[in-house]
Amino acid sequence: MNGWTGRILRINLTEQKVNIEEPDFESYLSFLGGRGLGCQILWQEVGPRVDPLSPANKLVFLTGPLTGARVPTSGRFTVTSKSPLTGTVFDSNSGGIWGARLKKAGYDGLIVEGKAERPVYIVINEKEAVIKDAGRLWGLNVPDTTGTIAAAEGTGYSVACIGPAGENRVKISCIMNDNTRALGRGGLGAVMGSKLLKAIAVKGSRKIDPAQPDKLEFVLYETNKWIKANPITSQGLPEFGTPVLVNLFNECGIFPSYNFQQSQFTDAYYVSGEAVAEKILVGKKGCYGCPIKCTRLTRTSRDSGEGPEYESIWALGPECGISDLEAVAEAGYLCNRLGLDTISVGVTIGCAMEMAEKKMIEADIRFGDASRMCSLVEDIAYRRGLGRELGEGSRNFARKHGGERFAMQVKGLELPAYDPRGVQGMGLGFATSNRGGCHLRAYMVGPEILGIPKMVDRFSVEGKAGLTIFYQNVNAAMDSLIICRFMGLAVSEEYFARLLSAVTGVNFQPQDLHIIGERIWNLERMYNLREGLSSADDTLPERLLREPVKNGPARGRVVELDRMLEDYYKFRGWDVSGIPTQKKLSELGLEVI
Amino acid sequence: MFSQFSQIGRDLFVQGVNSSHSGNMSVRQGDRLVITRRGSMLHNLKESDLIETGLDKNDSHIALASTEVGVHRSIYKNTSALAIVHAHPVYATALSLVQDEIIPIDSEGQYLLHRIPVIGFEHTVGSEEVARVLPDFLKEYKIVMVRGHGSFAVGQLLEEAYQWTSSLENICKIIYLTRTLNGEIKESKGKHYDKW
Repeated sequence: MNGWTGRILRINLTEQKVNIEEPDFESYLSFLGGRGLGCQILWQEVGPRVDPLSPANKLVFLTGPLTGARVPTSGRFTVTSKSPLTGTVFDSNSGGIWGARLKKAGYDGLIVEGKAERPVYIVINEKEAVIKDAGRLWGLNVPDTTGTIAAAEGTGYSVACIGPAGENRVKISCIMNDNTRALGRGGLGAVMGSKLLKAIAVKGSRKIDPAQPDKLEFVLYETNKWIKANPITSQGLPEFGTPVLVNLFNECGIFPSYNFQQSQFTDAYYVSGEAVAEKILVGKKGCYGCPIKCTRLTRTSRDSGEGPEYESIWALGPECGISDLEAVAEAGYLCNRLGLDTISVGVTIGCAMEMAEKKMIEADIRFGDASRMCSLVEDIAYRRGLGRELGEGSRNFARKHGGERFAMQVKGLELPAYDPRGVQGMGLGFATSNRGGCHLRAYMVGPEILGIPKMVDRFSVEGKAGLTIFYQNVNAAMDSLIICRFMGLAVSEEYFARLLSAVTGVNFQPQDLHIIGERIWNLERMYNLREGLSSADDTLPERLLREPVKNGPARGRVVELDRMLEDYYKFRGWDVSGIPTQKKLSELGLEVI
Repeated sequence: MFSQFSQIGRDLFVQGVNSSHSGNMSVRQGDRLVITRRGSMLHNLKESDLIETGLDKNDSHIALASTEVGVHRSIYKNTSALAIVHAHPVYATALSLVQDEIIPIDSEGQYLLHRIPVIGFEHTVGSEEVARVLPDFLKEYKIVMVRGHGSFAVGQLLEEAYQWTSSLENICKIIYLTRTLNGEIKESKGKHYDKW
């Protein structure tokens, strides 16, 4: 077997047991790895109505068949679980080197189940997987945890861990790996914290041999040609990182600010990629096997660290009416150290700022107050004062105070940095996303703004249902291979299929990836339906549906969701209530569910 | 400026020197350049398809610029050109695959272009090597062919760079057609242009 190791660790924290399992090959072929295989495992093992923070929930860490191979951006891994923030199936993936090391240790992944009696961490290498006491790690932030484990275990280990936010079961906490990379969304850090699992350290150096080295060599050569030729992957992202998008999207009128009350930000330049490069950039870095190197190493007058990337800049900046780049960067560093999702933190604080402005809550908090925003980040992680409520996420917070319409979220997940009133397909993508308000499920700004693969009219709803489905399916396959979304800016699934074939020796055609992606999407949908979600959850915050944009290129627009949603269900092969038909499930080999 | 881009973009397509999404054009404006958007259809340009970015310095608009922006920048920085047209002329591209230079045999071609160098590269699209090598040729020639890829023409105006592109394709069509006729060319005035 090439591409996969064929072995998955199962670690039961309640019983302190470690087993090795060998999934059947059919599962690999049907779901590839990462997000797909994670969803299949969760479907089978975490039944309906399980409390996400109970021992019955599981954390499924998985690599994909391309992880650790010489494929660009393939150092990634995924964690799948039931989210305490959304109540849906939830996968988050991350770069760095942790995923490649796990594969090189000889495992495709590990399933963590149960709950430890006291804080523990797991150490995995080529010889063993052991559970160790984490008493002295509990309470430490992410860099200190990582450093302490490195000192204790020796060199060559890569660490995925939670910070204080995860320990405190904050619902917008994340799992961090390699110090500064984040499995950011969905509150998976809280799931890890609920199991009293502080960290997982992995080390491995096994060679990963492709099944067809000559073919791989050739396809890599062709792939790298496009990565080098495309100005986004060869210039924009390497030079400015993801904040290259700030000015572009602001000019297009899709860069929300003040909790989506506006769709542009007057001072966007001060938090743009250009400003980061001029003012705080000290270096650049890439994940395992990545030639793009979009990570920013930055230094402010008071602190230093990695980032901020586009979404973090926006959430901790313009979304809260803040244009102080140093404060934004420092709040980002803090989120990384404490283990918090920057998007959810910023959007939830923005929601509170608007509710305070409208006198719906009594709190010393207002748009533009950078210093208060930074102090709230800590309060959220340690569940102090207002931070305790904000840590529940914007939906729970706003609902508690009677202002749910001010929570800019879908299915409980805070929206990212795109105002969909100026990009209709993005609106449909947000509303139908299986994990809630996520930009990466469809990433419709590709065709609607960046012209990838072709430019379409961003204000039109025509054809958007079909396109959204297409990208949701392809991206589900990408998240299972696993490769970074930025690879898709340079090459298409035609290349991914050839890379996969060369690495595994199994002949995959581009169409196979579409079908696998569709299978994953439908299984995720079935999981969410089993949890009690329905078509009523395929919606957007009222503001985006009823309040027209006041100024800028998208002036007068709202998201015309109803016009797209009907087509969406029909094209998906679902009934009018958004339930996959038996025919569709059979077509995808999901008839057993 | 948009009307100029729009008209020439359409003409390039109508003449058949570009396929639906191929080719790109730019003009220099001091330390800035305006270039067509990556993947735009030159025969059907919209104002949002013109992307302005720095000549030396990148900014966020680089994310939308043509794949060949690096070559355009290098040409502007190393020549006196103020406009560039890059096209994929079919006959010229075919000839570039079998010849190291293109010597016109028709009168207009001989008057206007004299000789068109053909340069081969390992990577031909968005290539740093093309960006490095091409400007030296364009100091001496109005238009050059990148083997198997397409032409880069320079001028003070877009129209001028378009003219060289259009002429090159005519030159190559005539060469091709005369070869298919299998007859002897009665009077060739092109024999010294290899020294041009």
